[in-house]
Amino acid sequence: MIPEDREELNALAGEYVLGLLEPMQQREVEAALASNATLRSAVAFWEEQLHPLSSLAAPAEPPADLWNKIAARLDQTPQVSARWWNRPAPWRWATGGFAAVAAALLLYIALGGLPSAPHYIATLHSPQQQDRTSFIATVGRNGLTIRMVTAASPPPGRAYELWAIAPGATAAQAIGVIPENGVLRVASLPPDVQLGATLAISLEPPGGSPDKHKPSGPVLFAGAIESL
Amino acid sequence: MSDAQATGLASTATLVEAVARGNRPALKRLYGLESRRLYGIALRIVRRPEVAADVLQEAFIQIWQNAQRYSAERGADGAWLTGIVRFRALDAVRKYGREVLSDDPGLGDEAQEPDIVGRLAVEGEASALERCLGLLDEQQRRCVTLAFVDGFSHAEIAEHLVAPLGSVKSWVRRGLLALRSCLES
Repeated sequence: MIPEDREELNALAGEYVLGLLEPMQQREVEAALASNATLRSAVAFWEEQLHPLSSLAAPAEPPADLWNKIAARLDQTPQVSARWWNRPAPWRWATGGFAAVAAALLLYIALGGLPSAPHYIATLHSPQQQDRTSFIATVGRNGLTIRMVTAASPPPGRAYELWAIAPGATAAQAIGVIPENGVLRVASLPPDVQLGATLAISLEPPGGSPDKHKPSGPVLFAGAIESL
Repeated sequence: MSDAQATGLASTATLVEAVARGNRPALKRLYGLESRRLYGIALRIVRRPEVAADVLQEAFIQIWQNAQRYSAERGADGAWLTGIVRFRALDAVRKYGREVLSDDPGLGDEAQEPDIVGRLAVEGEASALERCLGLLDEQQRRCVTLAFVDGFSHAEIAEHLVAPLGSVKSWVRRGLLALRSCLES
């Protein structure tokens, strides 16, 4: 959890910038950055203030062909627009893309999750690791199935809860707590959870968030529902 | 300012602004301006040239992708670039470990700890940090430096300083809090 206490928060932000947090804690901080301005300014403080320390690493000449390798990748690398980023929700990093969906579907089938005629698919990522699919959800006549792919299990005493945010909606709807085996099946979804909706996963107490319209913990993964 | 003007100036922040507008020559200029510094930071953490090169490549792709978002939010400067490279390098260390395969003494298998007080690039912003680091206990100062510059984890710092893990964690915290109150004063 991100502490409210100013001193605790400053220490946590400092440890984050130093790179000392455990992966799960680091993801919590990264997820909270989107919505917590105090945390964001504490992190910016440390990044700015500690920056001169980096001059202790001696500059060195990178390999001569490195720039060409970078330049060759730019065509395939769209820029993230500021407007997109500023969408007012903690799950605003949710994104898709045909290549990602196709790759995710192959991965899903490879994992034994042969979907029975799914109509839609969503790949859920953490905001810092857009290239790594953490969960894959399929939506079809038989409802929704979501499966953990590469995410770490939640820490002891906590659980992942799945949320849906209908297109254009400002509030989330609780879909269900993901069992320990990492697979959740839901027979029927709210009618407005369809193409274009966002799925998000938050870290919660074992029974899920007390408020069924709002996560109580950080949103760690999110992705949009897209057509196959 | 036009993009042509921006790429003609050698300022990191101006170049990032031009990159945010999709200007590729500006990214190349930025690479020319910052790649030696950033590669040095990555190499110090990952210790392996081929891994450091991958880190730098991924970092510049990330800079290209996210420049717009950052320059809109808080202004993106050298500290922003350093943060991207450090986090990429830390990811690489977690993924591949930190084997040292080279005999190059410049890449030695021991963290080199120069006497940091007096060694920072002493220009304006650095002097406050230098003064405040100088006020910390030696152990606290070494913890902060080993984490930031060498990318050491708590456990690696503990091993390096031959100290219990719990002590290291508390030196880091107390060091950070003391630094913050000194830097703010």
